Amino acid sequence: MSNSVIDIKSIKKVYKMGQEEVHALREVSLNIQQNEYVALMGPSGSGKSTLMNILGCLDTPSSGNYFFRGKDVSKLKDNKLAEIRNREIGFVFQTFNLLARSSSLKNVELPLVYSGLKKKERDEKAKNKLTEVGLGDRLDHKPNELSGGQRQRVAIARALVTNPSIILADEPTGNLDSKTGVEIMKLFNDLWKNGNTIILVTHEEEIAQHAKRIIRLKDGLIETDEINSNPIIYN
Amino acid sequence: MILFIRNIFDNIKLGLNTLIVNPLRSFLASLGVMVGISIVILMGWVLEGLDNSVSKTFEIIGVDMLYVTKWDWTGNTNWKFLRSRKNITLDQTEMMKLMHNSAEYVIPNVNTWGKPVYYDGFKFDGFTVVGTSYQNAYTPAGETLEGRYFTQFEDEQAAQVVTIGYNIYKQLFPEGNATGKFIKIGKHKYEVIGVVKKRGTFIFDFIDNQIFIPLNSLSQNFGISRRSLDIGIKAGSKEKLDQVRTETIGLMRTIRDLKPNEKDDFSINETKAFEENIKKIRYTVWGVGIGLTLLSFIVGVIGIMNIMLVSVSERTKEIGLRKALGAKKGAIRFQFLVESSVLTLMGAGFSIIGCLGIINIALIIVKKYFPDFSDVATFFPPFLSPQLVIVASVVSVVVGILSGLIPAIKASSLDPVEALRSE
Ligand SMILES: Nc1ncnc2c1ncn2[C@@H]1O[C@H](COP(=O)(O)OP(=O)(O)OP(=O)(O)O)[C@@H](O)[C@H]1O
Ligand SMILES: [Mg+2]
Repeated sequence: MSNSVIDIKSIKKVYKMGQEEVHALREVSLNIQQNEYVALMGPSGSGKSTLMNILGCLDTPSSGNYFFRGKDVSKLKDNKLAEIRNREIGFVFQTFNLLARSSSLKNVELPLVYSGLKKKERDEKAKNKLTEVGLGDRLDHKPNELSGGQRQRVAIARALVTNPSIILADEPTGNLDSKTGVEIMKLFNDLWKNGNTIILVTHEEEIAQHAKRIIRLKDGLIETDEINSNPIIYN
Repeated sequence: MILFIRNIFDNIKLGLNTLIVNPLRSFLASLGVMVGISIVILMGWVLEGLDNSVSKTFEIIGVDMLYVTKWDWTGNTNWKFLRSRKNITLDQTEMMKLMHNSAEYVIPNVNTWGKPVYYDGFKFDGFTVVGTSYQNAYTPAGETLEGRYFTQFEDEQAAQVVTIGYNIYKQLFPEGNATGKFIKIGKHKYEVIGVVKKRGTFIFDFIDNQIFIPLNSLSQNFGISRRSLDIGIKAGSKEKLDQVRTETIGLMRTIRDLKPNEKDDFSINETKAFEENIKKIRYTVWGVGIGLTLLSFIVGVIGIMNIMLVSVSERTKEIGLRKALGAKKGAIRFQFLVESSVLTLMGAGFSIIGCLGIINIALIIVKKYFPDFSDVATFFPPFLSPQLVIVASVVSVVVGILSGLIPAIKASSLDPVEALRSE
């Protein structure tokens, strides 16, 4: 319990579309410990992104409770949620979501801007993280001067720069070719080895096999939640 | 707050980015604001120039001078009523001079118009011949460019001597050296003994058309019995004005045998009276200016607000990302407020440059086509005062914040999930 990062109890998410109600999550309970490496799978529309948004404090559940490191965050106000996102959560998106006109360094600094760090500290931390993901020589490159894989590395450096408790990646390899995808998965592998907690959404079996635990959703319910007995591990 | 200040430069850079991405759109959107700010600047410039000329004018009249007159300089336009007042006579003036305690000098003045002046075979018109006492030398009219004022002796002897105003000097003696020359006023010969320094400004030019001669001489040669005198009273300092005014009114009422229930049958004129008029001019300029300014700012605010709303919807995804990375509502609002302020501040910059151009062109035109008013530039400077620049900048930032408010609130209340999903 003390090592549990995420603990959700019977959460539901209902979207109202006029008269109709869409039950994106019917009733989901889940506990994720520190340094776990989890893959979320399931068919399109099964609620993966909805769940990730709630886990990432971008959204709140319609009902149920969400304890993040022991603290109930299911009813927090926007600004409180923003603080948690800033300090505790690193997002990696399928489409990278980098600021097109800013350099790699500026992009990685962005979360630190919102934590109120001084320019010098921001620069230093961002530089370190970019070096860690292998882009120490691309600090001043704009996104359009980088390859897809490099862009995703910048995005990962940005997710890591605040030393968050958890990294949430929604289809991080979805926009990459398989070779580049594997490189990104190697990076995640390293992060996990360094003690990071990772949750990634994917619909590729191959990618999911890198995780140590695989959760399958269907129609807003957890169908299976199993330990991956034979994960791909890089050294 | 500290966070905001620390990030202000990042936000300014962001704002500049938006501006640069679509400079023409930004320019068009800020047009209204630029017009508004330009009006503010020009209005301020005109008022400052007006103040400068007015204070100079007050110096000409004398800030420590009172003038007791039958006619009213300002305010009272009831001509019939003024005409029904009895003339102020020389005797009354003499009495005032004898009885006044607090005043430094009591100086009689008689103005006569329409007397032709002859010199060197030429005839000159349009000058005012002023009969006055030698003590007029101690008023602002007494500073001489060359020569001197007439003395008490010349005054008493009704000597045929004259101290001429600057415009007469320029017209009659373009080569200089007026002192010692003889001119004719009407058919009487006068020796020029001095020239008064230039006092007039473009709004008070006529003051330099005065010719000063001893009152006794005016009386002898031209007669003053049907004229009302003006009594110039020099208080000696601005602080003494109230005391001197009170005594003057009291004495004047006694001298003119007014009963306690009768109203004053004379006017006390002083620069203060002009201040009221100047105020009216100021208010008019302000009123017109503020009206136009408000109008263009309404147009301007709508323009900036529009471009900012476009900017918000174009950058929905970016806003979503910033929120995901931990930007609070305030930070997003701040970003857009800075952006709209940068836009209006740039507008202010253009306005300042534009107004400088307008001002300088106007001054050049005045100098070229209205040479008589060429001293305009000494009161209306060809540059903008730092206060004006500051006011323009502050106003532009306020307008920027006003027009950015709705877009900023809209941006800050976007749902992060929705915003991230948008394309
Ligand atoms: N904002 C919303 N309004 C209404 N319905 C929504 C909204 N967001 C998601 N849904 C619905 O909720 C359900 C789950 O959506 P979600 O995006 O979580 O699926 P997903 O598993 O991520 O699918 P995919 O693999 O296609 O990304 C879907 O039926 C979707 O239509
Ligand atoms: Mg999804």
